[in-house]
Amino acid sequence: MSVLLEARAIAAKDLRIEVRGRYALAAVLPFAATLLIVFGLALGPGRATLQTTAPALLWLAVLFASVLSFRRSYEAETEDGALEGLALAPIDRAAIFLGKAAAVTVQLLLLEAAVLALVAVLFGLSVGSDPALLICAFVLGTMGLSAVGSLFGVLEASPRAREAVFPLLVLPLAVPVLLAGVKATAAATVADTGAAAVTTRSGWSWLLLLVAFDAVFIAAGTLVFGYLLED
Amino acid sequence: MTAVSPSSGLRRDDPAGAATDGAGPAVALDRVTRVFGVSPALVRVDLRIERGETVFLRGANGAGKSTLLRVMATLLSPTYGSGRVLGFDLMAEREEIRSRTEFVGHRTRLYEDLTAAENLRFACRLYGLRTDGAPAALERVGLNDVAGERVRGFSQGMRQRVAVARALLRSPELLLLDEPYAGLDTAARDAVDDLIRATVARGGTAIVATHERARARMTTRTLFMQDGRLLPEGVDA
Amino acid sequence: MSVRAGERALGKAVSRRGERTLGVLSAIALLGAMVMALFVTPPDAEQGQVFRLIYVHVPSAWLAYLSFAVVLVASIAYLRTTKTRWDRLAAASAEIGVVFTILTLVLGSIWAKPVWGTWWTWDPRLTTTAVLLLIYLGYLAVRRMTDDPRRRGTWSAVVGIVGFVDVPIVHLSVVWWRSLHQAPVVAKVAPRMAPVMAWTLVLSVVAFTLLYAYLMVLRLRVGRLEEKAVAEALSPRIGAAAAKAAVGG
Repeated sequence: MSVLLEARAIAAKDLRIEVRGRYALAAVLPFAATLLIVFGLALGPGRATLQTTAPALLWLAVLFASVLSFRRSYEAETEDGALEGLALAPIDRAAIFLGKAAAVTVQLLLLEAAVLALVAVLFGLSVGSDPALLICAFVLGTMGLSAVGSLFGVLEASPRAREAVFPLLVLPLAVPVLLAGVKATAAATVADTGAAAVTTRSGWSWLLLLVAFDAVFIAAGTLVFGYLLED
Repeated sequence: MTAVSPSSGLRRDDPAGAATDGAGPAVALDRVTRVFGVSPALVRVDLRIERGETVFLRGANGAGKSTLLRVMATLLSPTYGSGRVLGFDLMAEREEIRSRTEFVGHRTRLYEDLTAAENLRFACRLYGLRTDGAPAALERVGLNDVAGERVRGFSQGMRQRVAVARALLRSPELLLLDEPYAGLDTAARDAVDDLIRATVARGGTAIVATHERARARMTTRTLFMQDGRLLPEGVDA
Repeated sequence: MSVRAGERALGKAVSRRGERTLGVLSAIALLGAMVMALFVTPPDAEQGQVFRLIYVHVPSAWLAYLSFAVVLVASIAYLRTTKTRWDRLAAASAEIGVVFTILTLVLGSIWAKPVWGTWWTWDPRLTTTAVLLLIYLGYLAVRRMTDDPRRRGTWSAVVGIVGFVDVPIVHLSVVWWRSLHQAPVVAKVAPRMAPVMAWTLVLSVVAFTLLYAYLMVLRLRVGRLEEKAVAEALSPRIGAAAAKAAVGG
């Protein structure tokens, strides 16, 4: 079977598990919502401040909540030792990485849609000015973030992983996603206050950075994932 | 494409089973050693098991039975020494070994939120088998009426039976079982025995690590391990 | 093939005589560089005496990144050969690299205060270095996660490779992030330096690099001794050849 077919089987399995378990609904989205409210309380109630910081708060909430999603992705593999089953199967290791990354990308995109709606309501972010840029920013940013999270999520399978190694690894590596995501979102949602001096044009150039990040991390993940499974 | 019997375990893209099998014994290990940090789990194990044998591996906890089986299954690589499983090199030809070997442990490697049938179908996809064999396999282990239920509600016995169904679908040449009877009810124990017999009847080999003395009548050979070493045959630990 | 040549060169450098020579050389070079930096070079026209920090800040930054490059090379070599010596090299370089990274950030901060009035200016290079420090810390944390040497080496090698590859992207993103705000940049490694200043900087970089090599050799020797101890503990139980293989030959 080709790598892509194998990856598709794994992605389908992951998504089916997520639909059954509804973990995103039960834990991840509430966590993101809590973060947003807490951010709002800490920074508000002045409308202007909240509007200018809205893109940043949006991406911060997504970044922190995504850690839960990556953990859950690998939790299903460790409950009964299923990860070993994947390692034993005669499939390309890269397929496991790509499949899990694809599945968690879909989950995160749905989460982001909800978070975006919340931010629009709570912080008065107008999402209409450049929807194409906004969607591309989220899709590309999420793909890159998922590549990082799905690669290092394997470390969660180790019993000692209860120390906060995973966020310590993922967040610094994902800095380009954070910066590009925030700037592109800010460009795409120019608020009425006119505070954003960023033009839509430079918003699109940030997308180029995301494309580069995605290419590098998907390639790197494909190449090295197998080593994380060997013993 | 010729019609493939679902329980024959043949790959969809290899209908005649023409993939070259390595020749030689089922397992041939030469001074295999495995160290974890500073503790040696396997110490210079020399072992030869012919095809068609049913071997029982006995020994106290921590004697190295699990480690030995895992090395044979290519889940672990030896720190030192070399070996061939089903004629394929332990280090260099792991994929060939994996596609012909099934490892059944006390962890069942199932997905809790999927049904028994879904778990089997996923395994079929991983191994390039046709998924329509799943219902028959579940029936054989007596789980056909819970095939559509999530594994999360299953007892350990039922879970192990799903694992047995999976192994039956795969029809491996080498069956490695690590304490498969632990915590099982009678129906599940019988299913495991059934799997061992079916494998050997096809000309395959079974190696079982277990405390259960009662199963001894099924075996052709019993090996004992102590402190990571394989004791000379005839010696009772 | 180049891996074997690397191993031979490494073998030469880590002999006891090589170690002592390196130590002496780096001490001399450092002394010379500091004398030049403090007494011989003139103060900067704009920044005055504070500018002398450049002679430790720049070499320190150079080492922070060089160390990580060594971690990258050693990590790739370890994944391909699984020989413990490469893992030892990567770990040693990461430990030493963290120290120099922290030094770079501290010096950068000390420099910023008198010149710009704040401790931290989000200068692109220093900000990237701060992220580099976090990646280093992640690397070291992953090494503490497991006792099994194979797993530890493999996992940290993956972090080392992925982390290194990420740093240029991080830098680019931080530069773009800052490009709208022309705020202070800490170190102007400006072409307008007087020749004596430029040469002192070069000497300083060389001295620091020698220091790095010396510290590495020391650390590697400690690592080898640790392994010898483990091999000797294992040998009676599993035989000398297996013990050697267990610690990575």
